Amino acid sequence: MKTTRIKNLLVAMTAATALGTATSGYAEEPIKIGGLYILSGSAATYGEFAQKGIDLAVEEINGSGGILGRDIEMIYEDTQGKASVAIQAARKLVYSEGVDALVGLDSSGVAQGMVPTMPELQKPLIITHAATPDVTGKLCNAFTYRISVNVAQNMKAAAMVAAETDATNWTTIGPDYAFGHQSWEFFGNYLKETKPDVNLMSETNFPRFGAEDFTPFIDRVMDSDADGVLISVWGGDLVNFIRQANNRGFFEKDMELMFTVGAATEVLTALGDEMPEGVHLSTRYWYEAYDNDINDRFVKAYIDAYGNPPSYNAEGAYAAIYAYKQAMEAAGTTDGPAVAKALSGMTMEAPNGTVTFRKGDNQAMVSPNWGVSGPMHPEHGIRTLTNLQIFDGEEVARTVEETGCKL
Amino acid sequence: MKSKILMAILALVIAGLIAVPWIASYFYVFIFTEILILGLFAASFNLIFGYTGMLSFGHAAFFGVGSYATALVLIHLQWPFLACLLVSMGASALLALVIGFLSVRLNEVYFAMLTLAFGMMVFAIAYQWRSVTNGSDGLAGFSLGSFGLGLDLTLGNPSVYYHVVLGIVAIASIVLYVICRSSFGMILKAIRQNPERVSFAGLNVRTYRLVAFVIAGTFAGLAGGLIAPFLRVASPELLHWSMSAEPVLMAILGGTGYFLGPFVGSAVFVLLETWITSFTESWMLVLGIILALMVIFFRKGLLGTLIDWWMEVKK
Amino acid sequence: MSGIGSALLNSLDIGLLLFIIAVGLNIVFGVLNIINFAHGALYMLGAYLAFTLINMVGMPFWAALLLAPIGVAILAVIIDRVLLRFIYSRDVADSLLLTFAILLIINESVRMIWGSGIQVVQPPQLLSGSVQLLGSSVATYSLFVIVIGLILLAGLWYLFNRTRVGRIMRAAALDRDMAEALCINTRMVVTGVFAFGAWLAGVGGVMAAPMRALDPGMGDKIIIESFIVVVIGGLGSFPGALLGAMVLGLIHGFGGRYLPEVNLLLPFVGMALVLLFKPHGIMGKGATT
Repeated sequence: MKTTRIKNLLVAMTAATALGTATSGYAEEPIKIGGLYILSGSAATYGEFAQKGIDLAVEEINGSGGILGRDIEMIYEDTQGKASVAIQAARKLVYSEGVDALVGLDSSGVAQGMVPTMPELQKPLIITHAATPDVTGKLCNAFTYRISVNVAQNMKAAAMVAAETDATNWTTIGPDYAFGHQSWEFFGNYLKETKPDVNLMSETNFPRFGAEDFTPFIDRVMDSDADGVLISVWGGDLVNFIRQANNRGFFEKDMELMFTVGAATEVLTALGDEMPEGVHLSTRYWYEAYDNDINDRFVKAYIDAYGNPPSYNAEGAYAAIYAYKQAMEAAGTTDGPAVAKALSGMTMEAPNGTVTFRKGDNQAMVSPNWGVSGPMHPEHGIRTLTNLQIFDGEEVARTVEETGCKL
Repeated sequence: MKSKILMAILALVIAGLIAVPWIASYFYVFIFTEILILGLFAASFNLIFGYTGMLSFGHAAFFGVGSYATALVLIHLQWPFLACLLVSMGASALLALVIGFLSVRLNEVYFAMLTLAFGMMVFAIAYQWRSVTNGSDGLAGFSLGSFGLGLDLTLGNPSVYYHVVLGIVAIASIVLYVICRSSFGMILKAIRQNPERVSFAGLNVRTYRLVAFVIAGTFAGLAGGLIAPFLRVASPELLHWSMSAEPVLMAILGGTGYFLGPFVGSAVFVLLETWITSFTESWMLVLGIILALMVIFFRKGLLGTLIDWWMEVKK
Repeated sequence: MSGIGSALLNSLDIGLLLFIIAVGLNIVFGVLNIINFAHGALYMLGAYLAFTLINMVGMPFWAALLLAPIGVAILAVIIDRVLLRFIYSRDVADSLLLTFAILLIINESVRMIWGSGIQVVQPPQLLSGSVQLLGSSVATYSLFVIVIGLILLAGLWYLFNRTRVGRIMRAAALDRDMAEALCINTRMVVTGVFAFGAWLAGVGGVMAAPMRALDPGMGDKIIIESFIVVVIGGLGSFPGALLGAMVLGLIHGFGGRYLPEVNLLLPFVGMALVLLFKPHGIMGKGATT
């Protein structure tokens, strides 16, 4: 954790010295932001990519005068993907390290446990990855914001993609926790609405998160009548899953396969050409999907710095730091409640276009991306996305009434 | 003379504990809440390990079940906190009776393995019984209501909660201490040293072991009931075998031969973890090295080694 | 039918991998009376060494299969000489605790050296892809695991029943004092056996690397599985390890396939049942407590 902090400081210092702008940043204490990510275990790559996105934003901001004339200092804690660990880590960050704001959360389960405690901490939290609809729904509160796509938005889009296919018998393979179960629930409901004659199979598959052997579940699906499968396995699990599925001939069967977070570049990079062609892949941000200056600059800077294209997690984390910059400057202070208030309804420019935190539920209106895996990218060493669809963030979102959030 | 000094040290520690919210930074209120709860958990474990000589690798089952019981009662029934704790203790006692009845017949490794198996069975149930336990996400989003006994306490305030935990852990420790010092406790010690002799004396070793196991489980359940509102979540990792390893480490660290050993172990464990993780990620490496040294050279734990040294000097 | 066939093959492949790992644990317990909690960490080390040799150094898989386990065995000799020698005369609980400490040290070292994220090792070209068997497609690599498992099984049987070294090990397991009286250098035997157990864990790790993503928690998962195997089969029993591994392989292969609602629970139920009715395992030696 602390090596990163030191590294950030060094980066900030060299940047500041190089530009000869070492002025206000040293006069005042830095603004501290706490990052809560999975930094160990099978999903640790996600935390790593988020850190890379944040480091980039911090470097840029500190290099050009900081926030309110103060530098940003990041302090990271590992949530281990467990709510209890995350809650204690947040307490440590707020009460011991004295951070002004929090970003992070990779897992829906963690988010569900953590979010209800935010009002006690009196610090804003921008969720950059965890997708459970509940945290900007029935568990919402004035301190919790989300800059990334949630399950409801992504599954509405998924249902629209699925409705276009010929598949009629749908089942799922998803991790056995909130994310996997909610993905299937929302997908099923939306698909039934648009295409009432589809059959949602009762035989579903929820392997444990972090399981190593997916073969029994792969076999179950192959032996069933399913011709459409929603797969919400992610992270290291997805890497394992694809490799085992390849070995089983899973992709040779005639099925519509929809990977709800399959186009995460973390996974695509690890898999290379082991990721099959011709399957539906989704991501919450695809680096080639947006044609604007901020995105061009972000993607270029990211590839220059780290050698591979940014993932949605890197983008969300990167944008979250800029969201804090804008909110803190609008509020004129780093005071927790004031910054949280400034975030509400705020509109900002991010790599994935114009982003607004909706007033009613604090959910950013951002667009899920769906595409079909294509040939390998000549430079980036990952699959490309063809037939790319960028859904309208507003259109796929639930209405505020539907979310159950009362702010 | 010596006992007077010891009593004075103990009184000072207790006074310091009471004063934590006023003298230490806010963060340490959380740290000391954790130390007390895990200390009680480890002390309950030491009743069967240090006193009776049974190495259980499934003690987290009772801790976790206690936390789930409190969480479930708070979510569905909103009973006062004291009532929740009683439910936790009852549930864990019952579970300990069943697991204990089946396990205490076995010795050493086989006992450790069987308790590990039962502990992981409880873990697996909590993990997969989604409709009741909310699966791997665990139960969250519950809030504390009243305390009970007509006392008007704002349990949501961490400082108040800390004092409540301190009071309850103190009472539970006194009860445990009385049990350890009673003739029953003496028999447990005798069982550890030589079970054959105890059974030749006409005592049923198995019954004594079972009673010790149930008492330990009950107090672990109490600790679990206290941890759920502190963590704000009751989740399967509280039942996992790695959670069962924690009281083992704490007891070894502090000293298994002393009643306060596990508490010392808990304090050292939590404080070291907090401090070491502030400048390196490799807390587990440090813990591993410390544990290896303790097992090889300081088998009596920190407290035992300190007391030995003190006795030596003061001779 | 194809469902049962593939579940069976899957069970066999998991079972034989578990056997390779668990038999090492069992030999160490049988001869040294040590429950090696760090056995899973040694397995992980085998996998990570293979990762380095294949992906970093650029060696072929076969070379890694040969070298990585030797590396693990060398580390085991150091562990034995530096740490374990203190506790051979103490009771089993102390060995559990000390090896747990070693597990923590190895886990954290792996995290420091190779990082927290996942790493992937490709199977050799020859063994990637799948073949048709019993009406369903089977990973070629699974068949390779099965073959290697059977070869090791035969080798171990030969070692224990037909060679002098194997007989010495069995003698030391039965009665260490007697072995010493017969002028067998038991210190050498102790270190050798511990290193051999670690070597088997390392082989298991290399074998597992192309099937599973590597992460620093992989040892913790396998150690509990190995405990289940040796408990079901019988602590210290060589045929028991095979039986236990097959039982657990079947539980995984069929449980995950047909009873996914309780697939986590089943292995522990099996373990508890065996301990309750035959505490020394199905093939374990002698008296019950």
